[in-house]
Amino acid sequence: MRVLLSWLRELVDVPGSAEDIARTMSLRGFAVEGIEPVPADVSGAGGPADAVLDFEVTGNRPDCMSIVGMAREIAVAYGVPLKPAGQPPAAPKRKAGLADSRTQGGRPAGKKGGAAGIDIVIESPDLCPRYVGAVAEVEMGASPAWMQRRLEASGIRPISNIVDITNYVLLETGQPMHAFDLARLAGGQIRVRAARPGETLRTLDGQTRTLPPEALVIADAERAVAVAGVMGGGDSEVTAATRTIVFESAYFNPLSVRRTSKRLGLKTEASMRFERGADPSLPPAAMARALVLIETTGAGRPRGRVIDRYPARIRPATLRLRRASLAGLLGCPIPDRDVRRILERLGFTLGKAADGWRVVVPTRRGDVTREVDLIEEVARHYGFDRLPVTFPALAAAPPPVDPRITRARQLRRVLTAAGFFEAVTFGFTSEAAAAPFAPAADLVPIANPLSESFAVLRPSVLPGLIDAVAHNRRREQRDVRLFEIGARFTRSGGERRAVACAWTGTAAPEHWSGSARAVDFFDIKAVVERVCGAVGVAVQTATSADSSLAAGSRADLIADGTRVGVVGRLAQAVADAHGLPDDDPVYVGEIDLDALEQLAAGRTIRVAPLPRYPSVTRDLSVLVADTLTAADILRTVRDSAPATLVRVNEFDRYQGKGIPDGSVSLSLRLTFRSSDRTLTDAEVQAATDRVVAALKERHGAVQR
Amino acid sequence: MSNHPSIDALRQLFEEQLQAASTEQALKGIHDAFLGRKSGTLTQALKGLASLAPEARRETGQQLNALKSDIELALDERLSALAASRPPAGAVDVTLSSRGFPIGRIHPLMRVRQQVEDIFTRMGYEILEGPEVEDDYHNFEALNMPPDHPARDMQDTLYLREPIVGGTWGAHRRSTGARGAPGGAEGRGWLPAAQVRAATLLRTHTSAMQIRYMKTFPPPIRIIVPGRVYRRDNLDLSHTPMFQQFEGLVVGPDVTLADLKGTFEAMLRELFGDVSVRLRPSFFPYTEPSAEVDISCQSCGGAGCGTCKHTGWLEILGSGMVHPAVFEAVGYDPGQVTGFAFGLGMERVAMLKYGVDDIRLFYENDLRFLEQFPL
Ligand SMILES: [Zn+2]
Repeated sequence: MRVLLSWLRELVDVPGSAEDIARTMSLRGFAVEGIEPVPADVSGAGGPADAVLDFEVTGNRPDCMSIVGMAREIAVAYGVPLKPAGQPPAAPKRKAGLADSRTQGGRPAGKKGGAAGIDIVIESPDLCPRYVGAVAEVEMGASPAWMQRRLEASGIRPISNIVDITNYVLLETGQPMHAFDLARLAGGQIRVRAARPGETLRTLDGQTRTLPPEALVIADAERAVAVAGVMGGGDSEVTAATRTIVFESAYFNPLSVRRTSKRLGLKTEASMRFERGADPSLPPAAMARALVLIETTGAGRPRGRVIDRYPARIRPATLRLRRASLAGLLGCPIPDRDVRRILERLGFTLGKAADGWRVVVPTRRGDVTREVDLIEEVARHYGFDRLPVTFPALAAAPPPVDPRITRARQLRRVLTAAGFFEAVTFGFTSEAAAAPFAPAADLVPIANPLSESFAVLRPSVLPGLIDAVAHNRRREQRDVRLFEIGARFTRSGGERRAVACAWTGTAAPEHWSGSARAVDFFDIKAVVERVCGAVGVAVQTATSADSSLAAGSRADLIADGTRVGVVGRLAQAVADAHGLPDDDPVYVGEIDLDALEQLAAGRTIRVAPLPRYPSVTRDLSVLVADTLTAADILRTVRDSAPATLVRVNEFDRYQGKGIPDGSVSLSLRLTFRSSDRTLTDAEVQAATDRVVAALKERHGAVQR
Repeated sequence: MSNHPSIDALRQLFEEQLQAASTEQALKGIHDAFLGRKSGTLTQALKGLASLAPEARRETGQQLNALKSDIELALDERLSALAASRPPAGAVDVTLSSRGFPIGRIHPLMRVRQQVEDIFTRMGYEILEGPEVEDDYHNFEALNMPPDHPARDMQDTLYLREPIVGGTWGAHRRSTGARGAPGGAEGRGWLPAAQVRAATLLRTHTSAMQIRYMKTFPPPIRIIVPGRVYRRDNLDLSHTPMFQQFEGLVVGPDVTLADLKGTFEAMLRELFGDVSVRLRPSFFPYTEPSAEVDISCQSCGGAGCGTCKHTGWLEILGSGMVHPAVFEAVGYDPGQVTGFAFGLGMERVAMLKYGVDDIRLFYENDLRFLEQFPL
């Protein structure tokens, strides 16, 4: 809300400067977005420079979308009186346009159309509880310079004397007004009714719009002439040729205006006020003001009486305000005199009650519907800074921390220790980037995406992470290790949490002591194993068919028979799509944290006794088919060995010279130990022989 | 003696050469120059004694022999000192660059998040996460924003084309069954509430968890919910379509606005150091009264500068007393309990704390940015 300081000062003798007002009012709930110096009043040559304060009016305070509304708040804040509605620079010559709301629309004098020559009928009183209309003879022209200056300072373009008056009244009082050309209203009628199916209207902005069925319109005897509370129609607007006008000053149902404005995609100064809630008591006063302005600016003279149709009277609410609630919510008692001073000056009427007050709420304050709203009004002008500073009492022991949070912290420690930097990427991605990670039918599309690059929820954390790798690669960072912990989404699985990591470049960076080593599958495998191990779950790898990863370098992560993730080299096509260079492979892994967490649930730490007897190792080299997996061979070893086999690991793998094609030489180290005795050579040899025999039988292995 | 350098000159020459010698080889050179069997200066001098008169021979001989033993002693000392200072076999050049031990970094937003979590943990808050996809009821309606409420415009929402099953929350409370459901069921009784059954939108704030939590647990409540939230915003210097928030909720029989003030002063001073904290009235549909919380600008010390738009203050969080309509929606009696709620943006905190002027830096994950935050 742009407020011209000189205009404001007509209503309230505020002592401070623009800056002081801004500071004071921001502490009363009206932040100032800017102070714009403007030249002093056209009439007051040499007078002090003027300024426009741009107040941020929150959505609950439509009453402050006006000079009077802001002046009222400022008057309370500074403890100065609010003067009656502004006297414009040129004083009014005489009073005009007596409102006759008592008779609810006035007696239709004479024939149809009445004395004023207009007939007003409200067909939908629920959507239009009040409609005030008046007729005036006018001489179209420009409005006076002072009015134009005020409109311009407030951000409204002057158009003509009549239109300017409607805008001036809107800015001053907050009441939206409209002017029709009476000659262009068929039958001299105004009918406030619902739009007819398929009804169209060419609005003031020149567009022909099909009116939504629930829209409320102002119509003449034949057709819609305005979208109620939103915008007037082009066919009935005042023009240079207009001789007689009808002023509209009404109160429309906020929800109805909001829906219509949204449907039409049309936001106006009027609709913004109506949809937040205008003041149902204001239309007659605003009309009177407009009629005064017509006369004082020489734009014309009112004809006949003001018609005030008010079929659905809105009564002011009465609320209870208890001292105990006030003190209970704010943390300290507020003196009675402050409560009374603040509320009365804001326009509330206070009556006494045993435990506090009975408060009548002015109709402009539709936002005040509960006791707590009154408490806010008191607190706001009493000053938040005057409230004490206390601390909430702890009534119970706090419950444990969500283990997800503890877990995320643990994984951050594990992964940063492994050289990974934490990334945070968006929860959505493009359909193309998501495609390699989930079937199209399993993606979760966003109904109203900002752009194609944010069209679906990410089915995997990887697309964003790979983008981050590519970002760094483009900026001379060859060695990149990134991880992210976050949610991912599919239609079949819903929202699940995952941890993902990506690694490109070297595993051992360049150093004077030796050559660098590029990252390979077994480096990233170690990372995902470490993550699972940190959660307390042992995982196995099995050859995977995941198409986001490169064939021949990809694995599923299996724990307790469940697939909990994948690991491997990113498929070249995916890397290409993210703009990554061909020569440096990117290794990635992703693990479903929810699944892992479930497997780990209830696991506790139990210490095993330390070994009391020495262990014995035996090395064993076998020739096997190179299509056989290490997992198969190790399984056979474990199956065939006695329980004294405590460990088996591959310590060499060789293919090439001296090894037949299609074969591989695998060297295994077997460690035996018993918990109750020292093993004899014979026992260990017998066990090793059994292993060799089993390998030969199951896999045709030849011992070397 | 005219054909020999004087003894003092010899001594001086030796001392000068010894001073300059720093290697074994140089010392050996000195030895040869003075004591070499054939051409050593001192050797020559000693040989020349024969030509002297007996009286002079005795005196000069004594002096020359003294000098000889001094030279031998000094050279031996230097040689053994040199040997002692030589590095042992296998010694390394300790000034060569190290092999390096790759270490990653926690993302600055998560760094802030952990710090805030720690502050509130010490204040006795429970920390928990909630689902990122939500339904309209929990994100809006129960928070006093019924359909068509103008405040919904303030949070431009991203909707899903079709509903999906949302995430779970509070798994830890299921296993311990600490308080049970408000309906009286103990322990496992509240399980169905812990999952979003038909999520239709991306939550616009973490406040949705207020509703889920209150519908599940009776007061008193003291929780912090960190997480990602989404708005239909374009990327620019100060907006991202996804950002990180902290939701806080405290409910009890007599929680006051003064308690809210005290809590924020403690929290913000710990987070930002010695700052002033002030409350400004504001509007949120789910709180009444509502307040924006500002801290004094650290760049200018409150005098006014570009960072604080010349006000001396920086807006840091939105807060207020829980609206009675919210209590009614979750089945609490607003006559019996009061509470405060707040929402804190992690990006905002991180930007102010670390002097970051472009919010997009947090989402580019540039290593050159990330590595500026020590572990
Ligand atoms: Zn500043």
